[in-house]
Amino acid sequence: MKKLVLIFLTALLVFSCKQQEETPKEWVLKEVIEPAGVNPIGIAFLENAMWLSDGDHNRLVQIDDAGTIVQAIDSLERPMHIDVKDGALYVPEYGTDQIRIIKNGEKSFLPISDSLDAPAGIAIYKNEMAIADFYNNRILYSKDGTSWMSFGKEGQAEGEFYYPTDVHITTDKIWVADAYNNRIQVFDKAGAFLQEIGKDQKMNAATGIFVSNDEVFITDFENDRILIFDWEGNLKQELSDGIEKPTDITVHNEILYTINYRNGKIQTYKMQ
Amino acid sequence: MNKTIIITLVIGMMTMFSATAQNTMDQFQVQVDGLGCPFCAYGLEKKFNELKGIKQVKIDIETGDFRFAYPADKALSMEAVLSQVEKAGYTPITAKITRANGKVETSGGAKTSVDGNQLTQQSVMVAGNCGMCEARINKAASSVNGVNSAAWDKDSKMLTVSFDASVTSLLEIEKAVSKSGHDTKNTKANAGTYNDLPGCCKYERL
Repeated sequence: MKKLVLIFLTALLVFSCKQQEETPKEWVLKEVIEPAGVNPIGIAFLENAMWLSDGDHNRLVQIDDAGTIVQAIDSLERPMHIDVKDGALYVPEYGTDQIRIIKNGEKSFLPISDSLDAPAGIAIYKNEMAIADFYNNRILYSKDGTSWMSFGKEGQAEGEFYYPTDVHITTDKIWVADAYNNRIQVFDKAGAFLQEIGKDQKMNAATGIFVSNDEVFITDFENDRILIFDWEGNLKQELSDGIEKPTDITVHNEILYTINYRNGKIQTYKMQ
Repeated sequence: MNKTIIITLVIGMMTMFSATAQNTMDQFQVQVDGLGCPFCAYGLEKKFNELKGIKQVKIDIETGDFRFAYPADKALSMEAVLSQVEKAGYTPITAKITRANGKVETSGGAKTSVDGNQLTQQSVMVAGNCGMCEARINKAASSVNGVNSAAWDKDSKMLTVSFDASVTSLLEIEKAVSKSGHDTKNTKANAGTYNDLPGCCKYERL
């Protein structure tokens, strides 16, 4: 009898430990930052400094943790989803059809022989770059930042786009916010279609994308929410409290940042 | 003293030049509804920027105030401006042109008066997605003679209209709405009009 009780208790202990281990972690709201007079479209961190593209005001702003504007870079033409590389900000300018590079206050353009029509997002991964070419309904991709290939055309089928607004690169994949097809599309580095994510979630304008080691984040602009999927496309979490017309998300130092075009607020979340 | 004279002359010349330049440009102001999405709104601005000679393009997404200047000798008409806005998928509410010679032209705002004692209120399902859809649906419904007010709700997808039943009917209002590209419970938009809607307005067909 004693043995039976012992076995039962041991089994209970093992089971409860296992249950504890399997409790899924979630992103939990940490704080809300409220920069004044900013309508952000894109977010990126350059050497731990938070930069926002402020499309309505044709500028980039660097803000501190309290939301104060530390510095601004003006005279840009509708800057969109930005990224960084080697101490420089890479800024797709919707209005000039160019990718602006800003480093130590100096401005230049990324040389691309192909002509863009309203570049809405850029992604950089090591030496690789990808650009969401909004009105041309295609993605430009470069392995080395100098020679480019493109894939996609207007449409709703696999591998086709309806106004792509953002892009992200990982080790062997290219992830696209296919905004007005209301889905995420995933491609290999040759531009071959691999996977569609989020079509069943009835998104309305999937405008900004970020991909971490195990999660895919997308902004559902018109529905005022952020959807978080695993890499297989299973929905893990939805964030909607305080979200109003979200345009971009990123994860920096294990903190998730979401930006809202309408109210200008930035929510930060921690995994708990 | 010499410096003061030079500065005064330069400022005077700049003022004269500026006044001359303004006198050769017509000023356009269009009130556009449903500019909530920056990707589309910047697109409207970009499309107008492609017009050769256009200057001082300014767009305020919050208020829907869209302004630009265009060379007076090209005589850009009110119809052409409204058509260009609609082609880009937007709904112009009112428009004002101040010609270089001072003449002012306006459009929109006029509406047939409706007898308040005869009003009927009804609601019907209309398909749509966003603020731009809302503007288009409300404008199409309001344009029907006999309609007093029209309000479409983005969340419930219901259009509520009050109208003089002796002048028009709910079905007539639905027909006008579907002509603008939106399916209603009883009428369908034609494929061409639907396809011309901006990306964010591509709702699931009823």
